[in-house]
Amino acid sequence: MTDATAQKPLPPITRLTKPFWDGCREGELRIQFCNICDRPWFPPADNCPRCLMDDWEWRTVSGHGTVWSWIQMHQRYFPGWEPDEYPITIALIQLEEGPYIYSNLVNIPAEEIRCDLAVEVTFHKATDAVTLPFFQPRR
Amino acid sequence: MTNPEQLRALQDKTAIVGVGTTEFAAIYRDLDPERSAYDLGRIAFREALADSGLKKSDIDGVIVSRLPHYGRMCEVLGIRYPRFVNVLPGEGRQSGIALQYAALAVANGMADAVACIYGNNGRSTGARYGGEDRGASTQAMFEAPFGMTSPGAVTSLMFRRHQYRYDTPVEALGQLAISNRRNAALNPNAVMQQPIEMDDYLNSRYIAEPLRLFDYCLINDGGVCFIVTSAERARDLPNPPVLIHATAQAADITPVYVADDFWYEPMSRIADDLFATSDAQREDLAFAQLYDNFTPTMLFTLEGMGFCEQGEGGDWITPERIGLRGELPLNTGGGHTSESYMQGWALHVEAVRQLRGDCGERQVADAQYGLYACAAPLATGHILKRDGA
Repeated sequence: MTDATAQKPLPPITRLTKPFWDGCREGELRIQFCNICDRPWFPPADNCPRCLMDDWEWRTVSGHGTVWSWIQMHQRYFPGWEPDEYPITIALIQLEEGPYIYSNLVNIPAEEIRCDLAVEVTFHKATDAVTLPFFQPRR
Repeated sequence: MTNPEQLRALQDKTAIVGVGTTEFAAIYRDLDPERSAYDLGRIAFREALADSGLKKSDIDGVIVSRLPHYGRMCEVLGIRYPRFVNVLPGEGRQSGIALQYAALAVANGMADAVACIYGNNGRSTGARYGGEDRGASTQAMFEAPFGMTSPGAVTSLMFRRHQYRYDTPVEALGQLAISNRRNAALNPNAVMQQPIEMDDYLNSRYIAEPLRLFDYCLINDGGVCFIVTSAERARDLPNPPVLIHATAQAADITPVYVADDFWYEPMSRIADDLFATSDAQREDLAFAQLYDNFTPTMLFTLEGMGFCEQGEGGDWITPERIGLRGELPLNTGGGHTSESYMQGWALHVEAVRQLRGDCGERQVADAQYGLYACAAPLATGHILKRDGA
């Protein structure tokens, strides 16, 4: 399965999700909020999953959250990461505002990671078009 | 909310009368990129039909899963005029649902005999269950860029959280893997029959840490079929009827697949529905066939269905309790980690064979009632009963 030319997977950017990725490039984490019931949700959807209304907007959130759980991925499902980049530390972050988001944990050794660790977003430029939101321990 | 009276209306109305599988062990070492899912499905169907004592012309319902299309399957089987037909997605959580649809169709007169057919050529065609290109999906947009992929990884996230909340030892998962393998050693059709011990488990390589190789289901080719007809008709057929005594479904659809309560809510609702509509209670079950795509799924199921308190599964799971002579033998044929990864379908077949008393060396004692349960975003459970129990 080794492919010397393989790239790390990049997110396809759609009409719906473009504001999220624009925000990341500008150093802001943005998620959708309903203007009727004021609730946030993630991943993006075309209406508020609670009240089903289309009247929503992207709002910048704190970028703060906690580690709901985390794993170290050893299996090289994606050849875009070189063998010496494994294991990949993947976390499911619960944002302070409520929704969950998958990400990578950075700037922390694996032995110090634990569930409920307080983290904050930190942006990593992958390409000119895509900046990824990673998380690190809250300072 | 569930109305137990309505749910009870299905009790003992229908039966599984025929079961069939391909040879799992034999073809594991015989990769064939041209082996189609239909080829596997048709072998299983032929076995199940012969087992049932029905004629092909008696089959007037066909539900397929993981087979791309019902049309091709019916064409291959020469079933031209069925009156109840559909295809379910190739997800393991659909196997219990196939049985539910078949039972509903038969109990309500929409079909007389329904064949539920599954074919999986994943090993031969290189299925990896991770790293796929999913187009403009949530997975591709918000998971893959972080290296997040595979059902095993989400299960591992849930297990890590469970460890954190309840101090659950990984050895509990090891006991499940070891027990499955021990049962598989008594199952001539099981793919993996070599016994493993705790050291083997702990030394197996990590896939998505904290989960290891031996926490994972196999990837193997195979086909499974079961045939459902009315209980009344079943009594005229050669095998002891295995009645669909109680069945229920519940779901927990979250955007991240992960359930923050380890599927406690859907599994406890299923348990409530099953035990409210069954003559059997937990202590009457001769065995439980628990969906084990990964070993933590069994742990979550045991807790959610109330065999122990939430968080106590790690202590509850002991070889004495879950072994073939224990109070609740689990996955008596070896499960997905050792017998065959037939996404719940072979667990149904094992349940039927146990209730018929056909399991030879691995037969559990006094098998009158048995449980199948699958914890997943779309969860199912059934209590099956040997007729006359």
